[in-house]
Formats: sequence, structure tokens, C-alpha cells
Amino acid sequence: MADSAAGTSPVGWDWTKWWTTQRRNIAYSFGTVVLLVIIGGILKPGILSGSSLSVLAELASFVGFVGVGQTLVFLLGGIDFSVVWVLNAGAILIAVESAAGNGSLPGALAITLGMGLAVGLANGIGVAYFSIPAIVMTLGANGIVEGLSLGLSGGLTCNTCKDPPAPALLTGLNGKLAGVPGDVLVWVGVILLVSLLLSGSTFGRRIYATGVNPAASYLAGVGIRGVTVAVYALSGLFAAVAGIMLAANSGGASLGLGNPYLLESIAAAVIGGVSVLGGRGHYVGTVAGCLTLVVLVAILNAELIPDYVRSIVYGAVIIVIVLLYGREKQVA
Amino acid sequence: MSVVRRSRWSYLSLQQAPLLLAFVMLGITVAAYVLFFDLRLHHLPTAFAWDSTISNALPLVFVAAGQGIVVLTRSLDLSVGGIMDLTNSLAATHMHSSVPSMLLWSLIVLAVGGATGLVNGLLVTVGRLQPIVVTIATMSILQGLAAWVLPQPGGNIPASYTNILANSNSPLGLVFIGVVAVFWLLLRRFRLGIALYAVGNDAEAANALGINVRRIRTSAFVLSGIMSAAAGLFLAAGSSGGDATGGDSYLLASFAAVVLGGVSFFGGRGSVIGVVCGAGVVTLLVSVLFYANVNSFYESFYQGIFLIGAVLLGMVVTSLAQRRARGSLRRSRRRW
Repeated sequence: MADSAAGTSPVGWDWTKWWTTQRRNIAYSFGTVVLLVIIGGILKPGILSGSSLSVLAELASFVGFVGVGQTLVFLLGGIDFSVVWVLNAGAILIAVESAAGNGSLPGALAITLGMGLAVGLANGIGVAYFSIPAIVMTLGANGIVEGLSLGLSGGLTCNTCKDPPAPALLTGLNGKLAGVPGDVLVWVGVILLVSLLLSGSTFGRRIYATGVNPAASYLAGVGIRGVTVAVYALSGLFAAVAGIMLAANSGGASLGLGNPYLLESIAAAVIGGVSVLGGRGHYVGTVAGCLTLVVLVAILNAELIPDYVRSIVYGAVIIVIVLLYGREKQVA
Repeated sequence: MSVVRRSRWSYLSLQQAPLLLAFVMLGITVAAYVLFFDLRLHHLPTAFAWDSTISNALPLVFVAAGQGIVVLTRSLDLSVGGIMDLTNSLAATHMHSSVPSMLLWSLIVLAVGGATGLVNGLLVTVGRLQPIVVTIATMSILQGLAAWVLPQPGGNIPASYTNILANSNSPLGLVFIGVVAVFWLLLRRFRLGIALYAVGNDAEAANALGINVRRIRTSAFVLSGIMSAAAGLFLAAGSSGGDATGGDSYLLASFAAVVLGGVSFFGGRGSVIGVVCGAGVVTLLVSVLFYANVNSFYESFYQGIFLIGAVLLGMVVTSLAQRRARGSLRRSRRRW
């Protein structure tokens, strides 16, 4: 514990040690958000109004929920492609199961979150115990969930498929507390929880250790398989949470709801300085990434820029940002 | 003497087990196709059914071959669908029914694909960025460009062009599949092909042996870009028009074909010949499910099951072959 002693002593405080690449990247990504908000404020002062900011925070929260899983999986050096249809299936499930009213809400939440958890567990077991490459396992799982969602709901033509979820969920998540929408409050809670998990818990240390060097972690006594399964399970769980939030926000489920969130969750994590190779990054960075994306899109929309330009700018911004601070030390 | 021969065979089976498995799976899928076709229509697949199946498979064969080459170098290319989007839109909006126009635009389209691959490759190697991040960003850019070139599905592809690239009345498609196979069989005997394997197996060792790793990885992306552009041409020819989102579904399918073809995602193992078989399996599987009267909503369910199942099967076969190789090695050591 010599390190922490040196860290707390007023003389021995070495800011160069505290100012790690990870903290620098997170600072950069928040700097990007501030810069974009200023640019947006100059171009369209309306963006800075309270109502517009709360809509932006809400939009960012949807990416943020999916981003929890993507960040954790990235920290292990994996990737989760199954978020697309786990999210969509989550939205369908919560709408169908809670269509009967508030009484059915607890059961509906349990079923929806359970579905996300189950898909995530399956992904984790496939990756950790059967050594299936993450990309293949999660793509396969995505296909399976897509097929089941479409098949069981008859392509979303079932009786209750188009119904809105229970009113309690709608008022709870869409209602505002001191001007802040309910889903944003949930997101703030999730940010605190995940940050605590990553920075202040043994499980968090184990995730980083496994991501940096699985073999060394195993030898040091980290149950790397268990960590992997837990991380993928969390990713599935949070994709389902995002589905619930989106279903509540748009008053029901639709097909293709999850499609934008694969690219956006990956982009948010990458912009936030999370390395896809594992071991480096933090969810706080991803939060900055979500805000960056949302503010960027808001500026482009406010300038009435057509969709195709938005898609081009989106890609270009990702490349510019990673060129600025996401470069690998060396690629052989 | 017999020990040596046994061990050599084991070595061969270890090397080629995934490829053999790809051929076996293609055989099983073809058999299933014939069976369900016959059960549904009470006659064997006609020449027309075979020819149209082959021409349907062509876009996937090309794009998956390109993806396979990139995966061999232990990378991946998420922009292949975007390249197909842009290239089929370009072909559908610009090509006229004269021979010079068709030739010129085919070449332009292939050059666009190659240039995109070059950008991907340089960003990955010189820019020192992760392939996933780079290609997901270029995918977004390409999709935007495609929507700019062709805002609504449409455009026009000359009928004579369709007759060459996507002819459902002659087995011409086999020639194109043959071109891919011959190209690969030649490539892997040249310096570049060997270097692709070397870089995929161990980039640092390859570098130490004097291979220019950056150039090889960039070349893989360029090849993938050109192949994806060719896939875009086949896609446009097959649908006699363009669609700025038409290539998107080929991204997942290309990974499925690569996996079914026995190319390892850990790099350096596999063959494009296997990937071609994998592309055949993925294409035929859709027809099999159709003739087996499976509700089309469940299509991706079965594809997902098949994908994961095939990976597991591939690993079981490889580990059996490895155990066998190790066993005979142990026996031969005892003998010496």
C-alpha cells in the first residue's frame, strides 16, 4: 500500500501518476461535449434551453443503457452484437406482458429483464466455456432472438403487440422530477452504480485484470470465466433495460427499434476512450461519448442537414476522434 | 515407417479439418435442398432452380471471400455491407447499355471498392486504429454516400449486364465462383498469400522475418474492398437496379460464411475455398427453410442456431484432429 500512502501524503502527491491515459481520454471526451454544446449554442441558441437539454439527456440515456454492456464487454476485449435484438425483444416483451395494466407490471419487468439476462448468460457461457469468438456468439444470439421475436409475435401482428406498456411505467419514466425526466434519473443512478462497480469493487478490478491479461489474472486467482459470464449477462440485462426505456418513451414497441443502437453504443464507448482491446476505459467516458453523439446529431438536425450527410459526419467524427486520442501504442 | 505416415496424415487432417467440414456441410445442405424441394414440388430441382440459386449466391461468395481474407490476417471488415451499398447504387445510377459504359463503370466501381479498402487499411496500419472502430465508421460514411447517390431504390442496370452477371438460365455463375477459387489458389502460393497467413498467425514473428506487416494488412483490406465492390455489381445485376441499403444484410451473412467456411477468427487458419462453401451453405439454407415450409419470421432464428452450431462442430472436429495428431506424435516419440 506504499502507493496510496504516497498518494495521500501532501508532499508525495504525484499528479503525473494520477493523470493516466484513461483519465486524460475521459477529460478529452468531456471536453468534446462542452465544445459541441458551445458550437451548438452559437449556431442554434435553442439547443441550450431547458426543455431541449432534457430531451437530449433522454436520447443520450438510451445509448447510455446499451453502452453499459458494450463498455463492460469492451473492457474484457469482447464485443456484443446481440444488443440490437435483445433491446427490441425487451421493448416487445414489456409492452405485451404489461398491457393488462399496472398489476401486471412487476411480472412484466421480471420477464423482460430475465430475458436480457438469459441471453447475456448464454453469450457469456458460449464465450467463456466454449471459447466461441465473441463476435460469432453474439451475432448468432442476435439472430436467434430476432427470429424468436419475429416468429412469436407474428412480425409484431399479435393482439397486444402494439399496445402501450402499463400506465405506471409510462408516467414513472416520462414524468419529470424537478424538470428531469424519469428515465434520465434512472440513468444517473446507473452511472453511479456502474462507476462504483468499476472503480470501487473487487468485481471491477477483476474485469480490468481479465481484460489486460486473462492468463495472468487466472494465475492470480481471478475466476476469469465467471467474470466473463457475469459481464455478458450484465450486457444483456442493460440492453433489455434500454428496450423498456424506449418502449415507455415511444409508447409501445416497434420493429427495428434496436437497429441504431449497435453502432451508437460502440461509437459512444470508443469516443469515451474505451479500448476495444480490453483493460482500458471507464463507463464515465462512455457517458461523455453518448452526450457527444446526441449533441452532434442535434446540431446536424437543427441545421436541417439531410440524413445521409448526418451518417457521413457521424463516421467522420468517430474517425477524427479516435485519431486524436484512440491510437494504439503500436500495431505490429 | 508406418508411424511417420500416420503422423503425416494426422497433420494433414489437422490442417484441413475445418475445410473438410465446410465441404461436408455444403454437401449436407445441398442434399437437404434437393430433399425439401422434392417433397414440396414432387420433382427434383430443375436446371433453372440450380442456376438461379448459383446466381443468388454470387454476391455473398464475393463479399465473404473478401471478408475471409481480412479475417485470415486477424482483422475484420465491418464496412463490406457499406461498400456494397455504395457500389450497387453507383452502378444502378450510371451504367448505360453500351459495352464501353458497362466496362468503364465496372472498373470505376471496383476502383471505388479498392480505394475504400485502402483507406480502411491505412487507418488501421498507419493510423494505428482498431479495425472494428475504423470499419464501423467507414460503414456509416459509405451508407451516407450511398443514400446520396441513390436516395430511393431504383436506377437501372442494362439487361445485357444482368445476363452476364446474374443469368438464371445458364450455369454462368459457376464460372465466377471458379474465378474466385482459382484466384485464391494462385494467391496463396504467391508471396502475398503466404504473408497473409504469417501475419494472421503471429504479426510480430512475421515482422521479424522481414514481412512488411502494414503492407500485408492494408492489402487484405484492399482485396476485401475490391471483392465487396464486385459483390455490389452482382447484387445490382441480380436485382436489375440499385438499393442504397441493399448491402447491409450481407455484413452478417459474410461473417456466417467465413465461420461456416472454417476460417478462424483468431487469424492465420482457414481457406477462401472453405468460405466459398460457407457462402453456398448460407444461401442454400434460406431456400431449404423456404421449401421446408418454415415461417419466414423464424429464418434468422435457424441461421443463428446454425452459426453457433457450426462453430461448435468446427471446434470439436479440430480438437479431435489435434488430439489424434498429439497421440500419434506421442507414439512416434516412444518409437524413436
